[in-house]
Amino acid sequence: MSFDTPDILLNLVKIGIVLSLVLSVTPVWVWVERRGSGLIQDRPGPNRIGPLGLIQAMADAAKFILKEDLVPAQAHKVLYNLAPIFGLIPAVTTCAAVPFARGFTIPETISYSSIIGILLVAGAVVNFILGVVALRVTSHFGAMAGATQLNQWVGKITGFAMIASAPLLLGILAWFRSAGSVAMPFGIGGRFFEPIIADTSIGILLIFALSSLGVYGLATAGWASANKYSMIGAVRASAQMISYELALTLSTVGVLMATGTLRLTDVVYRQSGTFVLFDTISIPAWNMFPMIIGFIVFWVASFAETNRLPFDFAEAEAEIVAGYHTEYSSMKFALFFMAEYMAMGTISALLATLFLGGWDVPYWNEPANFVGFLASFVAFLVKTSFFLFVFVWVRWTVPRLKYDLLMKLGWKVFLPLALLNIVIVALLIPLGWI
Amino acid sequence: MFEYLIFFTFAAIAVIFAAIVVIHRNPVVSALALVVSFFSLAVMYVLLDAPFMAALQVIVYAGAIMVLFLFVIMLLNLAHTEEPITRPIQQFLGITGAAGFAITIIYYLLKAAVLHTGGPVEFVSDARAIGVSMFEAYIFPFEAVSILLLAAIVGALILSQRTSAIPGAKENGSR
Repeated sequence: MSFDTPDILLNLVKIGIVLSLVLSVTPVWVWVERRGSGLIQDRPGPNRIGPLGLIQAMADAAKFILKEDLVPAQAHKVLYNLAPIFGLIPAVTTCAAVPFARGFTIPETISYSSIIGILLVAGAVVNFILGVVALRVTSHFGAMAGATQLNQWVGKITGFAMIASAPLLLGILAWFRSAGSVAMPFGIGGRFFEPIIADTSIGILLIFALSSLGVYGLATAGWASANKYSMIGAVRASAQMISYELALTLSTVGVLMATGTLRLTDVVYRQSGTFVLFDTISIPAWNMFPMIIGFIVFWVASFAETNRLPFDFAEAEAEIVAGYHTEYSSMKFALFFMAEYMAMGTISALLATLFLGGWDVPYWNEPANFVGFLASFVAFLVKTSFFLFVFVWVRWTVPRLKYDLLMKLGWKVFLPLALLNIVIVALLIPLGWI
Repeated sequence: MFEYLIFFTFAAIAVIFAAIVVIHRNPVVSALALVVSFFSLAVMYVLLDAPFMAALQVIVYAGAIMVLFLFVIMLLNLAHTEEPITRPIQQFLGITGAAGFAITIIYYLLKAAVLHTGGPVEFVSDARAIGVSMFEAYIFPFEAVSILLLAAIVGALILSQRTSAIPGAKENGSR
């Protein structure tokens, strides 16, 4: 194994992009969830902290950090403390195998253009505003009881650093304008940038392998809490996730049959382009059209896999208090919260990748350059956000099922439907329709 | 160099956690330790250039079978009871047998792996190669195993079938 500096740098960039996306899913989607539920229930939702309540997530985070961390006396201490980590690791690592944009060849030199200037100015303005907001939030919570000196210093340093970065960005802009064009540093020029962290030959299996470990966080938490409600939540979660994993995995078999490999980049490349119906209508060549049954099965099973309403039996608050995380408080509870939203984000990205063409922009052949990269990245984010929004939408629309109905639905409806999807795809492939 | 570092780290994890499975008194901890051991074993498969096997190892063993084990252990809520030694002869035979087995395995492993290091073997293990060999060369064992599993499923269904005491009372369970 040899070290290739440009390769390592590009991988670090990819990890940075994916991690920042994954970590920002939770605050952003908690806000969307709360405002969205307000919208659906005809009430305002959180609107006090920041414009439209946008800073609410930061306030929630501050609250979580300041709360006391309780461990029940009867709990199995080691497993109780490890369980939130078990829950979080699969949620974070799974997105390593999801391609998030069209790959492009990095040019050898980059010359100044007005778009770069606008981007740099916009970045400076955004950083300045965020810095001011961070300082305001710090001073607001600093006055509260329980705020530690450390928290205040972290807030202040973040705020001042972000404000200071604004003139720095403008300085880079001025220097860039005078220089005209710059060679790509660190020898990354001429490399092909494939926007996926782990482009392995087992792509989709890697995702299923990691996400199948997600159940341990819930099961361990429920058992280690030494609380009967937690225990019931854990038992329900493991039974439910095993049952729906089957339908989830089988519904992707059609996609893999059509693609011929397990590599997720190939799955997306194959879906770019169009299907032409009756020589007249052309629709994007996304897998959701020929494999509509598999798509729906995967979509519904994803609700069960992420323990969201109408299948949130692991924490059903009307029946078993809060299920597996009844005894958890402070940041450990927040970790379960984050893991749930990250799992939602990953499975939405997977839905988009497998059935909606991933980063494919419909009716447009993305060029393999930076513009194509950006456009496809935006398309990927739009599709993922759509599925994420449906999670919120369904939560406030469909009531919780009965537990035996969930099991019946999984084994007697979705499993046969997933098998039917395989049969249909197997018939369509020799006909040349896919 | 890097591979050796990864190998020895995960080999140590696998062995330590396998030992925990046997030694630890709490069955839930044992089950979780076995999951960690399986996961480290999957890393070995990746190092052997068999990522497909690694993924299957995690999906099947860590993700499905061990979840079921954990599920059952949690449901039974096994309490640990210290049993007095009642059968000394059996215990002696068990320990001797296990020790003899371990010594034999270590002897042959050292003989095969350390003393006679063979050259690299041509080895393909992607999904296609495995699928083709399973459905062409090994189709008969494959189908035989599926019939065996089907028999197991039918057997489980018959064993778990609740015979209603009251005739005509329709069961309203989740079966």
